[in-house]
Amino acid sequence: MAEVKLLTEFYHLPEYQTLAGYKAKGGYETLVKALKMQPQAIIDEVKASGLRGRGGAGFPTGMKWGFLPKNNEPRFLLCNADEGEPGTFKDRMMMERAPHQLIEGMIISAFAIGSNKGYIYVRGEYVYPIECLKKALKEAYDAGLLGKNILGSGFDFDLDVYRGAGAYICGEETGMISSLEGLKGQPKLKPPFPAVQGYLRKPTIVNNVETLAAVTYIVRDGAQAYRKNGTEKSAGTKLFSLSGNVMKPGNYEVPLGYPLMDLIMKEGGGMKPGRRLKAVIPGGSSAPVLTAEEVAKANLDYESLAGLGSMLGSGAVIVMDDSQCMVDMLGVLTHFYAHESCGQCTPCREGTGWLDKILHSILEGRGRLQDIDLLIKIADNMKGKTICALSDAAALPVLSFVTKFRDEFEFYVREGRSKVKGTTYAEMHH
Amino acid sequence: MSVMQNNSEKAKWYLPGVLGGLGITMKHLLKNLFNRKKMMTLNYPEEKYEYSPRFKGNHVLTVKKDGSLRCTACMLCATNCPAECIKITAAEHNDPSVEKYPISYEIDILRCVFCGFCEEACPVDAIRLGPEWQTPGVNGANFIYDINHLAYRPTLRGGIQTHVDDEERHKAGI
Amino acid sequence: MPKCTINGKEVEVKEGTTIIKAMVDAGERIAHYCWHDGLSVAGVCRLCMVEIEGNPRVQIACNTTITEGMKINNTSEKVKEAVKWGLDFHLINHPLDCPICDQAGECGLQDQYMEYGKYDPEMAEPKQKKKKVVDLGPTVVLDSERCILCSRCVRFTEEVSKTNELGIFNRGDRSEIGTHDGMPLDNKYSLNTVDICPVGALTSKDFRFRQRVWYLKDAETVCNGCATGCNVKVYYNKEGFFRVKPVYNENVNGYWMCDEGRDIYKFVNRETRLLKAQVRSNSGWSEMPAGAAAKHAHELLKTTSGDSLALVLTAQYTVEEFDAIVSTFVNEFKTKKIYFWINNKETFDNFDGILLRGDKNPNTKGLLKVLEKHGITATWNDLSQGLASGAIKTVVVAGPENQAVFPDFHERVKELSKAQNLIWLQAGKNEALMSLTGNVWLIPMKTFVEKDGTFINHAGLEQKFKKVTTVVSEALTLTEAALLMSGKNLAIPTAQPFLPLNQRPDQVELEARKKNEFVFRRGSL
Repeated sequence: MAEVKLLTEFYHLPEYQTLAGYKAKGGYETLVKALKMQPQAIIDEVKASGLRGRGGAGFPTGMKWGFLPKNNEPRFLLCNADEGEPGTFKDRMMMERAPHQLIEGMIISAFAIGSNKGYIYVRGEYVYPIECLKKALKEAYDAGLLGKNILGSGFDFDLDVYRGAGAYICGEETGMISSLEGLKGQPKLKPPFPAVQGYLRKPTIVNNVETLAAVTYIVRDGAQAYRKNGTEKSAGTKLFSLSGNVMKPGNYEVPLGYPLMDLIMKEGGGMKPGRRLKAVIPGGSSAPVLTAEEVAKANLDYESLAGLGSMLGSGAVIVMDDSQCMVDMLGVLTHFYAHESCGQCTPCREGTGWLDKILHSILEGRGRLQDIDLLIKIADNMKGKTICALSDAAALPVLSFVTKFRDEFEFYVREGRSKVKGTTYAEMHH
Repeated sequence: MSVMQNNSEKAKWYLPGVLGGLGITMKHLLKNLFNRKKMMTLNYPEEKYEYSPRFKGNHVLTVKKDGSLRCTACMLCATNCPAECIKITAAEHNDPSVEKYPISYEIDILRCVFCGFCEEACPVDAIRLGPEWQTPGVNGANFIYDINHLAYRPTLRGGIQTHVDDEERHKAGI
Repeated sequence: MPKCTINGKEVEVKEGTTIIKAMVDAGERIAHYCWHDGLSVAGVCRLCMVEIEGNPRVQIACNTTITEGMKINNTSEKVKEAVKWGLDFHLINHPLDCPICDQAGECGLQDQYMEYGKYDPEMAEPKQKKKKVVDLGPTVVLDSERCILCSRCVRFTEEVSKTNELGIFNRGDRSEIGTHDGMPLDNKYSLNTVDICPVGALTSKDFRFRQRVWYLKDAETVCNGCATGCNVKVYYNKEGFFRVKPVYNENVNGYWMCDEGRDIYKFVNRETRLLKAQVRSNSGWSEMPAGAAAKHAHELLKTTSGDSLALVLTAQYTVEEFDAIVSTFVNEFKTKKIYFWINNKETFDNFDGILLRGDKNPNTKGLLKVLEKHGITATWNDLSQGLASGAIKTVVVAGPENQAVFPDFHERVKELSKAQNLIWLQAGKNEALMSLTGNVWLIPMKTFVEKDGTFINHAGLEQKFKKVTTVVSEALTLTEAALLMSGKNLAIPTAQPFLPLNQRPDQVELEARKKNEFVFRRGSL
């Protein structure tokens, strides 16, 4: 197997960014086709294709669209371009190189669900992608592809870019909705779910950038053609952001079910000279880590990774070789989650802070042996008890790192320095 | 019948009992005459009894390093006191790290039974029962001890330092 | 009306009820901090966990509506473990402030720890440091470290007082409650936030450090600050009254009360009261017991003709007292010159939309009802004319308990002092009265907490309240004063010293208190 360039076929062409370049390679032809179909037919096609959310949760998109009420209530389509998950940078590439891909996907999806207003919520740090998006939107409006009566079909759709302000929690769907409403970006209680009561209390669909872009190709080629790639339960292709200790980090589009080891060794160019693979985080920092033996058995699809105790997540593959200190790595992750917790519910707010403090005690040489078991206890009791999944996302890496690499933690507690690097925290981060 | 009856011959006679008692008295008199050191009597006030370090005498309100009162007016001592002899009035302190302190702390020493429950109840080692017990009151004496007397009386030489200091606790981050 | 099973008991509830409301109504104990029946659901404390049959995970009870046949239990080990860890997370950054915190004894954390906690804490890291003793406004002080971020106060200022002064700033475990720049917590309902705060983060400047709550007894009565008649609970002990808190009443005040009503305990305490009657004659002021003064006044009144006698009433006494004194004056003294002293005509009908009314007397409707029953139609002008012309020689005044709401007090005193004989019945001291000349009787009265009675509020609702305690035992109620002034003797109540505990009328009802949240557990004191 090898890379399958379904979405990324023309990303190497600089003019693909512009409307003319996009149209030259067949862009917006699917839109013309879709506007002639029945909206329900598009939803059925997406359901049949088995497309699952590409942002991290992997929820079947067709099913999510099916939760919308079947009345004439105005509804919103929100594109989640917050891309907060550490290690993920695939949506950025799409927004920089092919913003029209996203726009076309959004118009088709909006037509399918009957929405007349859409927002693209982009994280504030993506200054250049936002510029590209704004330029592309202007081109689309000028060409009559957005706004009133798109291409004479009678369908209106308005699309705006909304800039975030630096919060990972605004990548959570209800957190994003709160932020769009102008409130503090804190997740809301579910039920009621966004498909029933979301943005401004109206039915709202929140989808990832890649998911919405994939809709175009499903409508163009049909559900069965989309299913040719991938496995039975995980259909289609996905972009994976490969980073860490590999020779060729970057975004790669491969069919789901592709062996993880191949992605690292073939597409990624393998390890740096003289280094062995030690661990891989397959789906963004919230996914439990895999040891090198487990990586050999892993395929990049939802079921295989779930079977190994991890998850596919957003597809950010972080590779660590044997020069990486696991305690240090976990310290970085716990610090991230402690900083990003919104602070609404107690287990996450206090738990992330507590985990961070313990990790830093260990890193600075003040750890105690019972701290390691304490980490496991805290993480176990943070899971499953909160409003959103940030608490689980903070607990899972702690559990997996401490269980699978316990010897490094014990060494650090006993000796006050890293087993792998031999140096203390101060020396590692001077 | 709860009274023991002694019907022996000796008890029926009067003199044997009297002589026996006198004999015990003489025995002790002669023992003490010839063995002054082993005599149980203390020649008070030249000799005084040495009480143990846990002896519960007059109250002492401890002070912090800077000399201010340790007590935070939590009123646990007043609540625990079985004689209800402690009266406290709390007030707000200007320093936010101190926050609460007593502007009046009175112990009615005549009601006090020196049980030590206040010392047990105090969470910050503010009140202790010290070793002083010899405090008679002369004419016009005040038997309601206030803060001045409890913490700063001359015999305390400036104030007893407490073992629980908030500074170290704050530095340790608790 | 779906039926469900809670901890083995079958309960029928209204459509749309959440589990936590059903449990609280059924008397089941469930740990919670952020849920409050009078506010919207936040679901942030994660403590109200219950196990629902069919769900592998524990769920929160405050956001789950009951469906038919739901089986709920919160006594299993899984739930207890979840609650214990929820509590643990609340306590890891909580400061060791119990000795200096006002909430000790009625603190949510203390109560839940004794019930679900009792574990050995494992937090060995330095705690999060935040601001302490923050002045939020004229009435409330904040301590950010103690705050558990339940957001009750924020929701209160959003939904109930609608002034939006409070918010949560920063995120994660650096979150703090605060006010926006330049806008202090300054609304007429701000002290309700102190009531709903489950911990000692928000404290009342008025009550701060004055007394420990386990030294206080509580009793329910009706507020006499305005015509709304909120149901309140007053806290008191031998030394006096200390604070006032609201009691839930569906029809009158809901869960809340206004800040003005919080001050009603001040004019009940001994420092502000008339203790002995003062009688002024040609030889100056002399003191005598209240009953004797009333009898002394009777000597004067029995010779006064009905035409020269007037009665002035303020609407701050109970319906029974009004009835007694008005019927005495109408029937015994044969005068219909009874006048209603209205303190603020212009703002009488004000209403701010929530609870505050312009009529600052608790029993206006009651007084009007009694006056109507006896056919009294005199107006204040008749009194003024009568005093000016000298036709009215003797005036009996039932003065206000709550003098603060009578801005025209001094002018009226001057006007009424034109009479030759002035019998002034009042609970509180006032220098204006002590500087009167002529024949004056100042007789101390009992305040509303020292008598049983009925107030009729603005909507015509009759609210009966019981006596709380006695502050000035010599003072008279208006009924007793009326009896003595008409020459009768007071009836001695039959002694009932040995009633069993559950029948004694002055005993606090412990069962009702168990349903209140975070109620202080009074010890043997």
